[in-house]
Amino acid sequence: MINSIFIIDDDAITVFGIRKLLATVVSCTNITNFSNGKLAMEHFENLGNDNELPDIIFLDLNMPIMDGWEFLEAFIKLPIKQKITINIVTSSINSLDRDKSNTFKNRTHHKITYNTKPLNKDEIQNITNPAKQQH
Amino acid sequence: MKSHIKNSTDYLIKQLPKATAYVNLNMNIIHISDSWVNTFEFSRNLSDDSNILNAFPLLSNEWQQDLEYAFLGFKNIARKDKYFDRDNKLNWLEWIIHPWYDEKENVIGAIIQIENISKTIELEQKVEKLELLLNAKSEIAKIGSWEYNVITNKLTWCKMTKLIHEVPLDYCPSIEMALNFYKEGYSRNLVRQRVEKAMKDGDTWHEKLQLTTAKGNDIWVQASGKAIFDDGKLVGLIGSFQDITEEVKVQQKTKDSEVLLRTLIDNLPLNVFIKDLESRKTLVNKSECDYLGMSNDEIIGKDDFELFHKESAEISRKEDLHIVQSLTPMIRKETLNIKKDGTKTMFLTSKIPLLNDYLEPTGIIGFSLDITHLKEKEKELRRLVHITSLQNKKLINFAHIVSHNLRSHTANFSMLLGFLIKEKSDEERENLLNMLISESDNLLETIDNLNEVVEINTVQNQVSKPIHINTTITKIKKSIKSLLRHKKSRIKNLIDDSVYVNGIPSYVDNILLNVISNAIKFEDPRKECVVEISAKKLKKYTVITIKDNGIGIDLEKNKTKIFGMYKIFHQHNDSRGIGLFISKNQIEAMKGKFVLRSKVDKGTTFNIYFKEND
Repeated sequence: MINSIFIIDDDAITVFGIRKLLATVVSCTNITNFSNGKLAMEHFENLGNDNELPDIIFLDLNMPIMDGWEFLEAFIKLPIKQKITINIVTSSINSLDRDKSNTFKNRTHHKITYNTKPLNKDEIQNITNPAKQQH
Repeated sequence: MKSHIKNSTDYLIKQLPKATAYVNLNMNIIHISDSWVNTFEFSRNLSDDSNILNAFPLLSNEWQQDLEYAFLGFKNIARKDKYFDRDNKLNWLEWIIHPWYDEKENVIGAIIQIENISKTIELEQKVEKLELLLNAKSEIAKIGSWEYNVITNKLTWCKMTKLIHEVPLDYCPSIEMALNFYKEGYSRNLVRQRVEKAMKDGDTWHEKLQLTTAKGNDIWVQASGKAIFDDGKLVGLIGSFQDITEEVKVQQKTKDSEVLLRTLIDNLPLNVFIKDLESRKTLVNKSECDYLGMSNDEIIGKDDFELFHKESAEISRKEDLHIVQSLTPMIRKETLNIKKDGTKTMFLTSKIPLLNDYLEPTGIIGFSLDITHLKEKEKELRRLVHITSLQNKKLINFAHIVSHNLRSHTANFSMLLGFLIKEKSDEERENLLNMLISESDNLLETIDNLNEVVEINTVQNQVSKPIHINTTITKIKKSIKSLLRHKKSRIKNLIDDSVYVNGIPSYVDNILLNVISNAIKFEDPRKECVVEISAKKLKKYTVITIKDNGIGIDLEKNKTKIFGMYKIFHQHNDSRGIGLFISKNQIEAMKGKFVLRSKVDKGTTFNIYFKEND
């Protein structure tokens, strides 16, 4: 059961696409989007309790103000016990970015996956299925 | 009567000028001349009947032979031999013994005449010795002699002179033939002149001349001569004649070597010098003269303190002292030489101690190669490598920007098209199509922007010219009038009307527009926005400073991203990352730069460095 999904991306079309794909595979209606990492971090810092934490985060890398990496760096420092799936979705096909994402895997208990845009239905399913079973 | 005759004969003989003695057949002395007695210290008491053989005991055998021969009526030839006198001194005696006849032609004894020829023999020996010596000398030194008798018109050459001329020993030259051996032209003319003058005025001559021998060999001779006068009348000429070909060859060889050496060192692309122990120059080549701007004569004898700036001279002198004290050469050291006029030159210098036969240092030989040019090239090369690596970095960065930007658009196209194909609802299809169109517009804009960046970096034929900066600012103020009004901002332009910058007009317009509008856009809403523009002239740049009191930026945190494409730092709706990225490319294309200072909440100072014309 997926209660909540966050999409952190400054590109409206990508947000639209992820929402549309999600609608076909999960019944979650609580989807929130943030146009950069800083807005998302502010949201986490102001959360009342763990129930409001998302199960899945779709994270873009190239964003203004606070980019995906900066967000990730800040996020893993948050005292969150719950295991959250953070799915990096980027248009970058630079292998350095993929390598960098791997370094985060060892530093956190959260699950970190890496996908390049455009996402398709299968990939969305692979991301959401394990999260569904956790609950 | 007999006694009387005898006595009168005796008296006669006594007076003979030549030492003479008469002996009877018993070899007893009958008469003896005083000259004999005096010359040979014969005491007069050598009585008449003394045996003659006792006179010179050493010669008694030879005398006996001669006497017996004379007794037989034969005349002996003169003989000579040595004897030792009372002081044991060697003497030479010449004697002749003839028979002594009486009136009836009977041999009654012998007449002996003697002469001390020691002096003559000595002279003869001396002459012989001298002759030998002369011959030996003339052979060794190849000095020949000649003699010309004016009266007989006969020219005599000695053996050596003939050898030098390579003629047979029986060769008899005339004076004309002799002169014709000299090479036609200078040598022959000169020798003729000299001979004529000597014959007229009695001059001597001494000339180095060339001649061709009988065998056709060209040789050099030292010909000397003088006229001989007898009673003021010319009687002949004598002279010596020496083959100096070898000497001249050696001299020529030395001269050739010297010329070769000089040519070599003068044409070396190196400064060559020799210094004495006091570091005074004793030899310099042309390069060194040219470098010092002085003639050879001006340099020789001067030390480093007289030729160079004190600072250089001290270092050089220290090096020299170390070299001569330790006898270790200094090899390929980079040295900075400063001349009196302050000109600096970088040299690659080697200095080697010069040693005499006893291995004591007598000075230093030095070679220095002017590497100022190389050093500059090296610097230039480093600069170019730096630029290249920067540009390479920029290119890689740009490639990433391009691929990322194009990819994000195509990813959206792909996704939207994927949706569109499956979408049944017309309303949603319409929505997707609108999104596609908007994405397509974004792609076009991105491509335009990228193209602009490419053009800035590739188009080199844009012409730089002086731009009146206040005109540009006025123009910009006009174009952002609505923004200024909207933000209630004020631009304070402190630039003097005389300030011009050098640049490509469209770039300068764009840079100033971007920086000024950024300053206004990122104003602090809590304060009145004031943008102050000023100018400053530096050595190589004119700096335009745009200072705002806006929200500022944490440069430390955003260092790497500040001029990146599509990096937006503030949540302003109208901020697009492309502006500063393009501006940065433009200022760099004009060889200028941006220098930023900023403090969050205090404002940003943006310095734009416009490169001056070189």
